[in-house]
Amino acid sequence: MTLSIPVIETERLILRGPRESDFEAFAAFGASDRSRFVGGPFPRFRSWGGFLATYGHWALRGYGMWMVEERATGATAGRIGFIFNDGWDEPELGWHIFDGFEGKGYAYQAASAARAHGAQHFGLDGVISYIDPANTRSLRLAERLGAQYERDGEVAGHPCQVWRHPHQGAAA
Amino acid sequence: MTHTIPVIETRRLILRGPEPEDYPDFKSTFTSYRARFMGGPLNPYEAWMLYAAEIGHWQIRGYGMWMIHDKVTDETYGMAGGWKPAKWPEAEIAWVIWPDAAGKGYALEATHAARKHFYRYLGWETAVSYIDPKNLDSIRLAERLGAKKDPEAPTIDGNDAVYRHPSPAKLDGTQLAHGIDMEIAHYADPLFKPKGWAID
Repeated sequence: MTLSIPVIETERLILRGPRESDFEAFAAFGASDRSRFVGGPFPRFRSWGGFLATYGHWALRGYGMWMVEERATGATAGRIGFIFNDGWDEPELGWHIFDGFEGKGYAYQAASAARAHGAQHFGLDGVISYIDPANTRSLRLAERLGAQYERDGEVAGHPCQVWRHPHQGAAA
Repeated sequence: MTHTIPVIETRRLILRGPEPEDYPDFKSTFTSYRARFMGGPLNPYEAWMLYAAEIGHWQIRGYGMWMIHDKVTDETYGMAGGWKPAKWPEAEIAWVIWPDAAGKGYALEATHAARKHFYRYLGWETAVSYIDPKNLDSIRLAERLGAKKDPEAPTIDGNDAVYRHPSPAKLDGTQLAHGIDMEIAHYADPLFKPKGWAID
């Protein structure tokens, strides 16, 4: 049973489809305060559903979120990629960096690679990111990625800001 | 995208993996009162996440819930199959029928076929169904499938009744198996009019 989720390699990271062995790291993120800007914290059974849905999203949309693996250690460092759930205005680029892996530039590296891949292979260019206005680290990352604040919006019942990423041709 | 979810054909139905175009049918049931015994009604986001999780379940467990289609018209009637969230005591055999398709024996036909598949091809020796005690239609279906309430079995959270399905041996050429086949045959007969209230 294999969904063909592409693998992207960057200097220090591997972006790949989820594996069952990623679940503990995924659930730990969901249970922690770090998930407060993405609707959490979540009880374990909700995390399980969300983890399964990562696969399902690829099957339903043909694109989705990758798990971020730290190349040097093989550890699961986060999750990044495209999200277009029911209720989203359009596909967004999202990133979750797990505890212990922040401050290493991983989110920037992974988001750049995912964004370029989406523009090239999925027809997802100039996408948005939904960001909680209190999530200052994510706002800073969006700025570093060259995204611009577009408007206030709402996703899954939560007010948030909509940031627009530059078209990849223009950013290069 | 290479999805190798097995396809099962029964007398009237074809069971296939959940596909993107079936999502609206799933969503209408799961955002409705019909979903009250399945953790619903859900909002659209929750319904989407659950539908995506149904597909992910196949990836991670190697089994899951099939979408039930009419063999002739391809219309969807609901879902049936196996389900085992993290930390559930046992794998469950589950079903849901869209409200408009209830009363035609589709759940019986689909679930019976799914159970056969798990026993024959995945080597399951047993299975349970976790049912809300107020969900009388589902309890009746469990009983028509030969399942019996198992008071010894651990529940999910104490609010559900556990129905234990008959073992593969008890469904192999037995009176129970013939009875289920006969009931399905009755439903498949266009002249058959079930007595009493609608049953799945």
